[in-house]
Amino acid sequence: MDLKSLVNLKSLDRRTFLSLPVVSVVLPAVAAAMAPEAEAMRVVPTAPVGANGPINFTAGVPAPGSFPARWICGSPSCMDNHDPPIQVHWYNEHTVFMRQNKAYSFEAPFLHLYFGNERILMIDQGYTQLRTDWPLRDVVDGCIAEWCAKHGRKVEDMELLLAFTHLHDDHYVGINQFYDRPNTRYMGQTHEEMIGFWGMTNYPEQRVTLDLGGRDVLVWGNPGHVFSEFAYYDTYTQILHTGDMFYRGRCYISFWDKWFTSLKRLMAFLEDHPVTWVVGCHVEISRTGQDYPYGITYQPDEAPMHMEVGVLKHAYEVAKTITKPGIYFTGSVFLCNETRNATTVDRIAYAYE
Amino acid sequence: MVPIHIYDAASGENSQAAAASPCSAPPFAEKDYGNGDPDAPYNPPGARNTDSCLALKPTGEVVHDYATKGPAPGDVVFRWIHGSVCAAKNTDPRIQVVAYNEDTYILRENPCVNWEAPFTYLLFGNHGALLIDTGATPEASYYPLRVTVDAIVSRWCGIRRKKSVPLTIVLTSGENVAQNQGILQFTDRAQTSLSPLELGPRMKFHGLGTSWKQGLGRIDLGGRVVEVIPTPGTHKDGLTFYDSYTCHLFTGDLLYAGRVEIANDRDYVVSLERLRQWKQSHPVKWVMGGHVEMMFLPGRGYPRFSTNRPFEHVLQLKAETIDEAAEHARGIVGKPAVVFRTDFILLNRVSPDEKVYQSAPDLPQIPDPYWLSLQ
Repeated sequence: MDLKSLVNLKSLDRRTFLSLPVVSVVLPAVAAAMAPEAEAMRVVPTAPVGANGPINFTAGVPAPGSFPARWICGSPSCMDNHDPPIQVHWYNEHTVFMRQNKAYSFEAPFLHLYFGNERILMIDQGYTQLRTDWPLRDVVDGCIAEWCAKHGRKVEDMELLLAFTHLHDDHYVGINQFYDRPNTRYMGQTHEEMIGFWGMTNYPEQRVTLDLGGRDVLVWGNPGHVFSEFAYYDTYTQILHTGDMFYRGRCYISFWDKWFTSLKRLMAFLEDHPVTWVVGCHVEISRTGQDYPYGITYQPDEAPMHMEVGVLKHAYEVAKTITKPGIYFTGSVFLCNETRNATTVDRIAYAYE
Repeated sequence: MVPIHIYDAASGENSQAAAASPCSAPPFAEKDYGNGDPDAPYNPPGARNTDSCLALKPTGEVVHDYATKGPAPGDVVFRWIHGSVCAAKNTDPRIQVVAYNEDTYILRENPCVNWEAPFTYLLFGNHGALLIDTGATPEASYYPLRVTVDAIVSRWCGIRRKKSVPLTIVLTSGENVAQNQGILQFTDRAQTSLSPLELGPRMKFHGLGTSWKQGLGRIDLGGRVVEVIPTPGTHKDGLTFYDSYTCHLFTGDLLYAGRVEIANDRDYVVSLERLRQWKQSHPVKWVMGGHVEMMFLPGRGYPRFSTNRPFEHVLQLKAETIDEAAEHARGIVGKPAVVFRTDFILLNRVSPDEKVYQSAPDLPQIPDPYWLSLQ
């Protein structure tokens, strides 16, 4: 146990955090983090302020932004795909959404970057391990350098937080590219490490606030697809990120009760928080509601990734009527309720009588 | 008995062989080697037991004798191209060509062009060439089947000192988009006859009438006869081709090392039964299917759309696999079921992804080498 690192709050990583109760050295910020509904990690060191002063992330919310008319969505022949390995889209000047190319991984997950005055939050790291195969690290470093140059910051002043929606390999494998990055913290790859990272003591109900430096991101438990899963709400853009628990495609619901409870929690959240868009980690459905089967590498007529709040609310109405395992289509998303290995709604294509 | 031939470099003669079997002996009566006749005039003095059809001093068109005792020699000794971690960065050839022997070529489409990665077979006889199946990609820039076939044909013509050879293109199923797409590249090719895709005209093309299911077609390539056996079951218009030279059954989607999707279980059983009888009356070396989707582990298959299969089963299946498949197919008629066997998986009336990544408890439970397919 390195007590020096305890005193220096900037290096309060998950390991020191987890061992805190053992040595009974409780620092004020840590105590706050451990209290229910507390604001964790609101640690304000000497803020690296740009030439124009700190950016105000609370005025004029929700910050306007836009999604691309079309995300890259694969190609008929994977080896002839000439799209970039990662599509980078600046939703607005402080928010980046990225998508992995389907020819690099069929999962084609979406990755998020939220910039604050002191920290940068990255949610999910994609499905390719090697930087030489898929240059995620270079692209992210490029985005950070670009943002810092634009806003008069130094890259070394900005801490990068690497977080996950959940621990499936299509969401965390790319983290390997970041292990040698300076000034970077990781959420950890077990449930205990992850809730420890957010300072949660009452998972999944507890909602904590991550302060990126004037920009708050709310984080709370969102299980159902897997046991250990998180929802993120950015107060600046007011975008709600539901990960794999709810997205335009086949929501594989492993635990119905947990999932439905999470959905009810989201409904309650919508009551007192304005939400501009609900976004998920994948798109697996066409604009006309056609299912793109699991594993396919070309989705020419893909539906948009972002969803209106109504889509989520409607799914809740549909979910209320679901009592048995099976695949249910809400009109926008497939709810695969405890279907285990029936990973598609397909039938055998050439069946005849 | 196999005659022993000892080549004497000093004299350039094969004295013992000459003493044991004089040239006047009937050529195929006592020989066990399959391909070629060492006593045939195109062999140079001293060269014996060679499979080469190349004449040292060619004087004209080489006519090959396709009569063999047992299957013609040939083997698949290479690994097939199997995709890569990043499909976009794949550097394998778009089509892998393996010469099984001088008159038989096996082509595989790169899984990173199309995940189906179908196999296509090119057979040559004295008067014609036969292409069985055409791959899953119509665009020649992605999948240059026409260019590749043309190159093999002209090379083969060079070996046999022929100006050209007519090409016939047939399909194990006309409706199967994993096998019928490449045919579009051949529509303007000279000296080429294309099998129609629709069931009726296609059966007529093969000389099978309205009662085609009971019929038997025949394609004579000149000394090499390929027989056409109707085998509906995984496709309503399924055909299996039997090559009398290599003694292979080219089954397409009917039976291969992969997740076989049964389209009609009653037809499937009848077709396998027919192949079973065929096997009793004809030598069958291997069953050569249209795809490989199994891992090299008992009962384990790669999922659909997979573009990285580093641990693949071999293409060829033993003839006994037909018996095994027939036996298990009979048990699942009319029922939704997934049958896991060592070398194949049968899917009947279920989703194509049913029990993906799984295996049966009666098979050895060997986990797949996950590290091999790490992203």
